Amino acid sequence: MIQTSPDTQWPRWEIFKQDSEKRPYQSVGSVHAGDPNHALLTARNVFVRRPAAVNLWAVREDDILIATPEEVATHPEVLQTPGEGDTYHVGVKKSHKRSMTFVDLVGTLQATGPGDALRQASEAHADALAWLVFPESAIARTDDDAETVESWFAPAKDKTYKQQQYYGVIGKHVGELKREGRMPRRATEEPHVADHKVYDHPHDATPEQVKTPEVQQ
Amino acid sequence: MTAPAPTLTEIQQAALIRKLTALADDEIILAQRGGEWTGHAPILEEDIALANIAQDELGHAGLYLELRRALDGTDPDALAFTRSAEDYTSARFVELPKGDWAFTMLRQYLYDAYEALWLDAARQSVYAPLAEVANKAFREERFHLQHTALWVERLALGTPESTRRTQDALNALWPYVGQLFQPVEGEAELTAAGVLPDLSAVKARWDGLVVPHLSVQCGLSLPPAGAEQPGRDTHTEHLAPLLDEMQRVYRAHPDAELW
Repeated sequence: MIQTSPDTQWPRWEIFKQDSEKRPYQSVGSVHAGDPNHALLTARNVFVRRPAAVNLWAVREDDILIATPEEVATHPEVLQTPGEGDTYHVGVKKSHKRSMTFVDLVGTLQATGPGDALRQASEAHADALAWLVFPESAIARTDDDAETVESWFAPAKDKTYKQQQYYGVIGKHVGELKREGRMPRRATEEPHVADHKVYDHPHDATPEQVKTPEVQQ
Repeated sequence: MTAPAPTLTEIQQAALIRKLTALADDEIILAQRGGEWTGHAPILEEDIALANIAQDELGHAGLYLELRRALDGTDPDALAFTRSAEDYTSARFVELPKGDWAFTMLRQYLYDAYEALWLDAARQSVYAPLAEVANKAFREERFHLQHTALWVERLALGTPESTRRTQDALNALWPYVGQLFQPVEGEAELTAAGVLPDLSAVKARWDGLVVPHLSVQCGLSLPPAGAEQPGRDTHTEHLAPLLDEMQRVYRAHPDAELW
């Protein structure tokens, strides 16, 4: 492909987050950043603002080989992708439920290159929707000393956040209001109960029932 | 878990209220300046990152104002959103307009270094509620400092234009920095009592951290130090319009209960 203008984009880094020592690393999304440290610092702000985490990895897009079974079937040469022999990390995507990301890292294997790693991964996890492999040497990782854990990851644990429904202005699900006849049947109709129009705001009408739910964990 | 707070004299209490308010005011104004980048930062990831940092700073202001509330019962929201420029006690350093990205990152860096070191020292406060707050906020601030130190370095050593902009930002900001280290009225007594950190010791540590980073690591030229600083009752022309915008919603809906 002919490039008409220089590419001024920073490289893309795939971010792998570990929520707790017992959980696998998961691919949670990507950041653009100029270098490994920048990628990690930015990822901390983008992906670890609230939920708990104990570790972050950043891996350059260029160092990751990803393929679906369909791609392997139509382009088997992907299994020949050359590269360095190394310990390779293997990620598999097993469900469509969580859209583009949330690939779990399931373990490591020894491979002569990314193609070989992909071949081994596809054999070991034949039922996956996609495989992802990258060498150990490509990982930029957060330090696991106490200071880093304390300043990068501890603050998020104390930060709860309000569930979306906390902000509900009506205060209860719209279906409930409809069943009670408190919602107009046509856009131009005023709220009513049976034949009586309801001029009051639902909040005022049933103060006990429309309390906003407690913040949930 | 924590020792009971020492009994403060009325004069000490008034000085502590002044100090807590000044700390909070700096955070509120800087957070507002940081928030001005929301939707405008040079890259989406940094837009999110700076918004997070600004939110953290606002959170610190909340912590300081809760400490004040414990002393005199004043409502933090009312303090933030109803005081006008003449009652605010922010430093001029944080009031300056947001400038370009280099100015924003450099100011945030200089401030983060000051705040991280101040909080680090405040963790030793004999006033237990302040020590607790400092412990909590220090964690976040140390992370902010890493982020902004990295940015200042990348900008200073980036392209000729980014170097020029970073040096320009340093030239513009340096004369204002001193005000952050200026004690409020009565602060010396609280420092002597171990309630507040010794500002001159914080400044010495700050110099030891910031000066080599800027000059050696980043290759920037340090401008001469600023002249004598005015008190925190003297503001730039930029504060009043900032407050107008920041306080508009609160002032329009003074009775709102849920924010």
